[in-house]
Amino acid sequence: MKTQARVVVIGGGVVGVSTLYHLALKGWSDVVLVERKELTSGSTWHAAGLLPLFNMSYSVGQLHKYAVKLYKTLEKETGQDVGFKVCSNIRLASKKERMDEYHQYAGVAQTIGVDVNFLSPKEVKEIWPLCNIENLIGAIQHPEDGYIQPADLTQALAKGARKKGAEIYRGTTVIDINKKSNGEWIVKTDKGEITCEHIVSASGNFARQTGSMVGLNIPVIPVEHQFIVTEPHQEILKRHKEGLPEMGVLRDSEGQWYMREEAGGLLLGPYEKGAPCCYVNGPGKDSEYELFQEDLERLEPHIESAIFRVPAFGEVGVKKVYNGAITYTPDGNPIVGPAWGLKNYWINEGHSFGITAAGGAGWQLAEWIIEGEPTVDMLGVEPRRFGDYATKSYLIKKNEEAYANVFTIHYPDEERAAGRPLRQAPCYDRLKNLGAVFGQKFGWERANWFAPSGTPQVDDWSFRRSRWFEHVGNECNNVKENVGILDMTAFAKCRVSGQGAESFLDGLVANRLPQKNGRVNLCHALNSRGGVHSEFTITRESDESFYLVSAGAFQRLDHDWIKRWIPNDGSVQFENITNSIGVLVVAGPKSRDLLSRVSNNDYSNEQFPWLTSKAVDIGLAPSLAIRMNFVGEMGWELHHPIEYQNHIFDNLMVAGQDLGLKPFGIRAMDSLRIEKSYKLVGTELSIEYSAIESGLNRFVHLNKGNFIGRDSLVKWQQKGFSNQFVTLEVHNITDADALGNNPIFHKNKVVGRATGGNFGFRIKKSIMLGMVDPEFSSVGTKLTTDILGTKHPVSVIKESPYDPDNKLLRG
Amino acid sequence: MKILVAVKRVVDYNVQVRVKPDGTGVETENVKMSMNPPDENAVEEALRIKESGKATEIIAVSIGESKCQETIRTALAMGADRGLHIEVEGIIEPLAVAKILKKIVEKENPGLVLLGKQAIDDDCNQTGQMLSAMLAWSQGAFVSKIEFSGENIQVTREVDEGLEILDLKLPSIVTCDLRLNEPRYASLPNIMKAKKKPLDSLSLKDLNVDITPRIQQIKVEEPPKRQKGIMVSSVEELLQKLKNEAKVI
Repeated sequence: MKTQARVVVIGGGVVGVSTLYHLALKGWSDVVLVERKELTSGSTWHAAGLLPLFNMSYSVGQLHKYAVKLYKTLEKETGQDVGFKVCSNIRLASKKERMDEYHQYAGVAQTIGVDVNFLSPKEVKEIWPLCNIENLIGAIQHPEDGYIQPADLTQALAKGARKKGAEIYRGTTVIDINKKSNGEWIVKTDKGEITCEHIVSASGNFARQTGSMVGLNIPVIPVEHQFIVTEPHQEILKRHKEGLPEMGVLRDSEGQWYMREEAGGLLLGPYEKGAPCCYVNGPGKDSEYELFQEDLERLEPHIESAIFRVPAFGEVGVKKVYNGAITYTPDGNPIVGPAWGLKNYWINEGHSFGITAAGGAGWQLAEWIIEGEPTVDMLGVEPRRFGDYATKSYLIKKNEEAYANVFTIHYPDEERAAGRPLRQAPCYDRLKNLGAVFGQKFGWERANWFAPSGTPQVDDWSFRRSRWFEHVGNECNNVKENVGILDMTAFAKCRVSGQGAESFLDGLVANRLPQKNGRVNLCHALNSRGGVHSEFTITRESDESFYLVSAGAFQRLDHDWIKRWIPNDGSVQFENITNSIGVLVVAGPKSRDLLSRVSNNDYSNEQFPWLTSKAVDIGLAPSLAIRMNFVGEMGWELHHPIEYQNHIFDNLMVAGQDLGLKPFGIRAMDSLRIEKSYKLVGTELSIEYSAIESGLNRFVHLNKGNFIGRDSLVKWQQKGFSNQFVTLEVHNITDADALGNNPIFHKNKVVGRATGGNFGFRIKKSIMLGMVDPEFSSVGTKLTTDILGTKHPVSVIKESPYDPDNKLLRG
Repeated sequence: MKILVAVKRVVDYNVQVRVKPDGTGVETENVKMSMNPPDENAVEEALRIKESGKATEIIAVSIGESKCQETIRTALAMGADRGLHIEVEGIIEPLAVAKILKKIVEKENPGLVLLGKQAIDDDCNQTGQMLSAMLAWSQGAFVSKIEFSGENIQVTREVDEGLEILDLKLPSIVTCDLRLNEPRYASLPNIMKAKKKPLDSLSLKDLNVDITPRIQQIKVEEPPKRQKGIMVSSVEELLQKLKNEAKVI
């Protein structure tokens, strides 16, 4: 065994081995993998081996697409057959909402270049004669996917990795991990120590134990998943004899199961409610090739559905039931990327669809390790998307929920119930009494919209305009006409201070820092490739102190990014003050009147211009008022010590009664921001697009001196951009607006993708934001898009269709 | 004629058995459990006898913790008519099992009792024989074939010399070998229907049986780990090593 290596990968499941393979493929041959037992002996060996390309996420979709392509070439490269059966995959729909989901997904597929077909029930029957097509309305098919033998795949990747110089040590258990003062890691195993530069944790069911060796609370707990294999069925054997092709993978989304042929019989895997978490305290020391007791009782409704859909399934005996652990995270997506707070410690854990994801996750993680950045936007699988709130008890609830929801319809406005309410701003109960219908972001309860009296205070999810549409419209119009109040306590907040704070921040962001005390600027931190990593609102508090606010969902990510770059000479201090500061936003033409009523400060344009901040009193309470907002009206954000929130809230509500003050929610905010072409990290802003392509020209000063990503951005600019941010108006809308990820066509060619969309209530137009080929980006260009299967003409319009000159903001 | 089939819940044959760290037994927590494989042959044989019209009812009986009911359900899913569960905690020795089965036999009056030849967990291979002695019934152990002839059955057993065929007078005790038949897999509709079949539960008290252990288990430990092998380069070297080092030839 080596005592020194560049990278140690912990865990010999398909995910760890794929990471090793890709590190070696990229030229790092001095890499090793340690596995406590045998390769695949955790969860890989009992995986059903399905390769579903279907994924609603643009980033995860790209990982899956890469994997399927890679797996097809592995046998040629390594000589190891991986048993890849390209037999296609059919997802059935028996209700309209499900077809909407498939159409929305088809948009994602088209923008990342994955083939999909829509099938009629009759066409399903032709491919799957054993399928009963009663009550079906259609299906979506991936001709390119199928299934693979997970153990053979792992062996092929291992073979490929070894060929390139990587080494694998089986029967080697990691006992401890230590950091040396020079930054190197020491991985202590029962067979000796390995000193290394990087560690990759790919330990599957052991994720939490591995994490605890370095002080990380990894948000992964496995859930039990069962699948049933039957003995051969005459009809299937007959098909084989006749030389007919395999029928492929069949998924009944309403029945929440997948089915495929297996050795002449059928294999059924349901995703049932009530599947429990397992290995909550980790598997045992000797655990290996472990299965749990089957529990067919909780699968019963799904079995009945399967027998209804495929009667043959009930006609033969059950040969074997597998019940094994699959790792889960609260949102069902894996965590792939750097660990928070640790340098050169990487996570590739929490894979629930590990066989499909391993290829892409290994590929991107290897890029991240070797080149410093991934090339695919990894926000959807970012390890730092969870925070301290993800306790073990929370994980149990959420992971079981994620499992039970694998096949439910993934509405764009879906909000899941488990583990709530958890983080609550002080005004939570007040908002609730005002009709708030909440959602959860980064553990925080946030009001999505407000149900007026007489309307049930329950959400209504849809791919189309739903019950809340009208009420959100009223909230938007009230912000336009009067004044609205919005709780944004969930914002991530921090203070960067010290003698070196200014020069540090100047090198971190692309915009100029605010020069005068009290001034505020919107600043973007780019990654080293020139894409957008984070967005901060920076307020200069004093010569040596800056207050930074960013999206609540990205607290851990944004703060980790700052801390990663902070010089270690003690000249800069960082303080996370998210939980001690509350934020209430008041916006609308009457916001000045409102604040003047509860405050002795001067809110006139002369004394309190746009993009400035001031310490003010609201009622009796101290607050920092920042004159800016995300909705495009005159308005202030009130950042206050959190214990004053209700005092401030009550004073505002009383004073605003006759001004028409009403609360508004996140959904109204999204409509309002889209009318201003305001961009969000995670949709419009991403590392896949340069800051300039994303339309941030005003916020990027290439000549201000060096900053992270500057040189790459200049090079990118010289090479030429392939995308341009545009605002589009969508025509012929009836009941559905763009949701993002819609393909944008010129004639029949995809020339771009929507990043977001909504109805603009103030301008009464359906708006879409997107990235298109620069050739098609000039105002007036006529293009088309697809919304839930219906083609719509769209036209490029000027940015910020509402108040394009920002007169209201500055009014 | 009724047939009584005894089924035991054991660690699944696919599971790598692990000894508990304290040496008191093997790990059964979070471990997949199944019906003892030769017991499946017993159930299958009972079903075939009933299907041929020679039996009217099949009763599956299991003794042990409450989860044994799952094992009975498996037998019911395969086709047994009703189940009987005797709730007992902890380890039960073959003698105790035989005593309990004797009480059940007296109650149910079966014409034939089928058991597995032995359980794959303790490998005792005693229960059938003890039961036969207690009831003073005929017995056939390690049976790989059963044929009916009049009031008797002819059973075939594999012995060292070849096949031994016994003619047994009913009622009789037969313990089943894996060669006897190929057990069927239950279909899912039958698995679901099995939940509605009658399953009675009795306590030891109901039966008035003394199951005080006669055997004291001192320690359970794993066999020594296999030493790493070596590669030899020729047949000569192999012979030389077997002769001089292993001293086996």
